[in-house]
Amino acid sequence: MLQAPLMAKLRVLYETGDPERVIEFDPRKAPFQHDGLPGSVLDVLLGHGIHLDHACGGNCACTTCHVIVKGGAEHLSESSESEEDLLDKAPGLTPTSRLGCQAVIEADAEVLVLIPRFTINQ
Amino acid sequence: MVFDDRATMTNAATADGAGATRNPHLGVIERVVEHAADTRSLFLRVPADRSFRFVPGQFISLQLIIDGQSLVRPYSIASDPEQSDVLEICLNVVPGGLVSAYLFSLRAGAHLSFTGPWGTFTLAGPPTAETVFIADGTGIAPIRPMLRRALTTDLAVPVRLHHRAQSEAELLYRAEWQALAQQHSQFSFEAIIASASAVAPASEVLLERMHARYVAADQNRRRSFYICGVGDIVTRLRDALRGAGYARRAVQYEKW
Repeated sequence: MLQAPLMAKLRVLYETGDPERVIEFDPRKAPFQHDGLPGSVLDVLLGHGIHLDHACGGNCACTTCHVIVKGGAEHLSESSESEEDLLDKAPGLTPTSRLGCQAVIEADAEVLVLIPRFTINQ
Repeated sequence: MVFDDRATMTNAATADGAGATRNPHLGVIERVVEHAADTRSLFLRVPADRSFRFVPGQFISLQLIIDGQSLVRPYSIASDPEQSDVLEICLNVVPGGLVSAYLFSLRAGAHLSFTGPWGTFTLAGPPTAETVFIADGTGIAPIRPMLRRALTTDLAVPVRLHHRAQSEAELLYRAEWQALAQQHSQFSFEAIIASASAVAPASEVLLERMHARYVAADQNRRRSFYICGVGDIVTRLRDALRGAGYARRAVQYEKW
């Protein structure tokens, strides 16, 4: 008997008011492209044609992929010391801030993130 | 000289690119300088119609399309903000690397699209405590303008640079550091040439040397560190220093 795929869902809100985006994906198929940790918020977004700034190439060396987790934080990988060091310098830091390139989404999870206005730089 | 000109900048990074632009600049490669067979600098002229201002230590983000793939790759700015019309970036050949092979194929006159400036690996202000810069390989690139800026002030504290490279040729800017060490009694420079051996990676020498000098030698934990390099050596140095009692914020780093 075939097992149902353990799909995950990523919902994206924009502080700019842009329309919400919803992506359903199979985490086992990560990476979806080449930047950020495989299966990270950045990887999933870029791999599904949704832009997220990542000036350092998704190498955990800047904060332009800063996202604020609004739901499902427990379904994300733990942050590393390197990520925390960078987040300390992120404008608009919140207790649930993460770097999109480092936060890996677990299977069978639903995660909601807000893209802050000030990472857009326009 | 304003030490950190962010306060006076109108279109530059205030905190990791806030004020930087996603609207790409189109630079033209003015010249290429080969340091070693696998290491070179590209000098990128920024169009005169758009100003580009940055803080020492920041990087630009190249926007590349290679074989139909859109790629974003960061490169630290190795030149001074005072010469912001021409930016220097340093490159290494990465074996099998699509981007480095492409960039090494470029000649003077080629165009490169980039955004920025980006990054928070910058000096907070003039050194007020003994300040140690540690560069591994091309990790010297962002440290160069930071250190040159630090040396524009009247130093009351020691400022040190330790730079490891695989060979003499890859010790970028060595003559410059030696000259600056002659001019500034508080500044000292150590070149460390170490390549990989059968038993240890090249960076191990740097870790051992820094541990002996700044952990084992004394109990002074009031130094500030700025570390840059490629790979795990950077976080291993960070962990060694923080683990020895240096304050978290006194150990700044950028890992590529």
